[in-house]
Amino acid sequence: MADQLAMPHTATPAASVRTPSADIYAPQWRNVIFVAPFLFFFTTLLLFPLLWGIWLSFHKADTFSSGNFVGLGNYVRLYHDKVFLQSIWNTFYFVLLTVPTLALIGLFLALCLNRRTRTAAVLRTLFFSSSVLSVTIVTLIWRIVFIPNVGLLSTIYGWFGATAPAFISNPSLAMIGIAIATLWWCIGLPMMLFLSALQQIPRDIYEAAALDNANRWQTLRSITLPSIKRTFVLVVIIQIVLQFQLFGQAWLMTRGGPNNLTKPIVLYIYDTAFRRWDLGMGAAASEILFILILVAAMAQYLVARNKGDRA
Amino acid sequence: MTMRKMLFAAVSAGAMALASPSLAATELTVQRFFGACDADFGTNTDVGKAVGECGIITSLINKFNADNPDVHVNVATVEWPGYDQLTAQFASGDAPDIVTIHESALSDYQSKGLLMPLDDLLKSVGVTPDAFTDAARNGAAKDGKIYGLPIDSWTMLYHINMDLFKQADLVNADGTPILPKSPEELLAQAEQFKQKTGKPYFVQNLANETALYTRNLYTYLFQQNSDFFADPKHVKLNTPEAKKVVEMYKAIFDKGYTTKDLDYGGAINAFLAGEGGVQLNGTWVVGDNNAQSETKGTALNKDGYAVYPYPQLFGGAHAQYADGHTWAVSQKDRTPEQTAAIGKFLKFFADNDFDWSRTGHLPAYKAIIASEAFKALPHRNTITAVADLGKPLPSAVQRQFAIQDIIGEEMSAAITGQKDIDAALADMESRVNELLANI
Repeated sequence: MADQLAMPHTATPAASVRTPSADIYAPQWRNVIFVAPFLFFFTTLLLFPLLWGIWLSFHKADTFSSGNFVGLGNYVRLYHDKVFLQSIWNTFYFVLLTVPTLALIGLFLALCLNRRTRTAAVLRTLFFSSSVLSVTIVTLIWRIVFIPNVGLLSTIYGWFGATAPAFISNPSLAMIGIAIATLWWCIGLPMMLFLSALQQIPRDIYEAAALDNANRWQTLRSITLPSIKRTFVLVVIIQIVLQFQLFGQAWLMTRGGPNNLTKPIVLYIYDTAFRRWDLGMGAAASEILFILILVAAMAQYLVARNKGDRA
Repeated sequence: MTMRKMLFAAVSAGAMALASPSLAATELTVQRFFGACDADFGTNTDVGKAVGECGIITSLINKFNADNPDVHVNVATVEWPGYDQLTAQFASGDAPDIVTIHESALSDYQSKGLLMPLDDLLKSVGVTPDAFTDAARNGAAKDGKIYGLPIDSWTMLYHINMDLFKQADLVNADGTPILPKSPEELLAQAEQFKQKTGKPYFVQNLANETALYTRNLYTYLFQQNSDFFADPKHVKLNTPEAKKVVEMYKAIFDKGYTTKDLDYGGAINAFLAGEGGVQLNGTWVVGDNNAQSETKGTALNKDGYAVYPYPQLFGGAHAQYADGHTWAVSQKDRTPEQTAAIGKFLKFFADNDFDWSRTGHLPAYKAIIASEAFKALPHRNTITAVADLGKPLPSAVQRQFAIQDIIGEEMSAAITGQKDIDAALADMESRVNELLANI
């Protein structure tokens, strides 16, 4: 018994020289197993196509063969292509038309519907419901609205003996027509993001403001808007990235016309790569779109962050 | 029946059911445009009852399946013209066995070795190219071999509302419409039409359209003997001849002699509702328009419907742009049964080309054009001339659909006033040449 009791004492010095237990945070090769599934899909579906696209953009390639290395040849051709330059302008114009409007209308709707009433709940559902539709349905609905002679707009204008504006074929209205359809389609997400941000603002701040006799405008300017600033930046960045990729609405409503005035970069890429089989130039155009989206989103992020730091 | 016999019968039935896949019909995949109309013709095998492109082709394929139990054709319908999808299918090695391809698009796929030469296969089923019309044979042949079974020749036509033409005093004593013989006459008659009817002379689908503009330009360049594709790799469009055509269509647009904001469907509806005198549309609507004209109460029923080739407005060749549809076969390894099944399918369509010509398209076979049955179809006396007038682009010109888009975009810009005509023609030429130089 005494021996047994003595055991821990004799064991103690031995334990002090024992090697320390393994650090579970130390890097180990077998940990790769845990990230392998993600790495596999990230590499095959994102990284490899990205690198392959860059490689293609330096080659004269068509849909069925990749030909000679042409260096920056495809980029030079893009630089001289009036339609490509027009499509860049069209894309920026579309982003300018839609992103601020989506952010502001989304915020306005969220402010109006941020209450616990049945009507607000129904309206929130209604405004979000258009987001679940596919682009085909959305453009079909808006074509029925815009179509001359028999469309909804023509019918309404007809009641007053007026001619409806040609939102699909008029050069100065076509992009606005696409923007209207897009706003109707996409307004749900910004509204929901703003609603969730509004509901996270602590009630006691509003109560304190009420005690200080702050009016509605002061409350909005000094409490609500600063509190949802990060969400506002998030909404703007998400919408910039999404709207830069305009394709379906332009393809289905105007086919990029009239005279390429509604042809966005993605439609230009599709046209070049898959309809003209000029895969190298299409890849070069998509690299430029990639850089544009990256720069626009980063610039927006940095501007917002710097402002935030100063505040 | 004893238990043993019943068991034996059940086992035999089961064995037959299991064995049936080996006796199953040879499967073919067929991809086509011409629209979907399964609700009306999905099960119809009586081809004579079908009307319109979609109805007739659906019924023909149904009949082929019914007549040939050893072959089963699975049909995939694509939106016209379906080449983006087809190209992707070829690139991924998943092309259909048989596919509708315009003669103008055959060379794109043939030049890449994606299509099977059909000479031997057609010969094995008794179809020889000497039965084809000249237009069809020239359109389907590339490098001396046949790469598609031609099923028709098509072109654009003047579809005329005779009631409005009568109101405009544009009808001859024999009841035929008075059509212009020069650009000046066209503008004068369009003005007269507008004054007397209050409606535009032309019903055109100009909203974001390219094909119509381009086909109009090709036709009137041919009529001026302009050899704009003398070199299939280099086009000449910044020419006085092209300028004349664009100026003519711009005058029509500026003076309100045409509908302006209509898309394709809108233009068809507008013409059927009597909102203009002449619709510029293809052979494929002759059957439908004629059916409308025989329906009481419609705008075309009042004083009838007439259809003519484009009028000869210039002093050059008597010609107008034409193209044709073919069944092409993808190049891939097949069993002898599959190849034989494809031969049967092509033979069936060659044998039934008369039914297809009821759409309004011109037949691809000399014997059918010469037949009394074809001549007895409505309006064929006025449009059969297209068989001689029809002229495609040189078959060596590749990417004809992409070229069509470029020309149509620039013509639209010039005609609607977004661009100066000279600038549009210069851009048209340089853009097409840039495309051709980089094939």
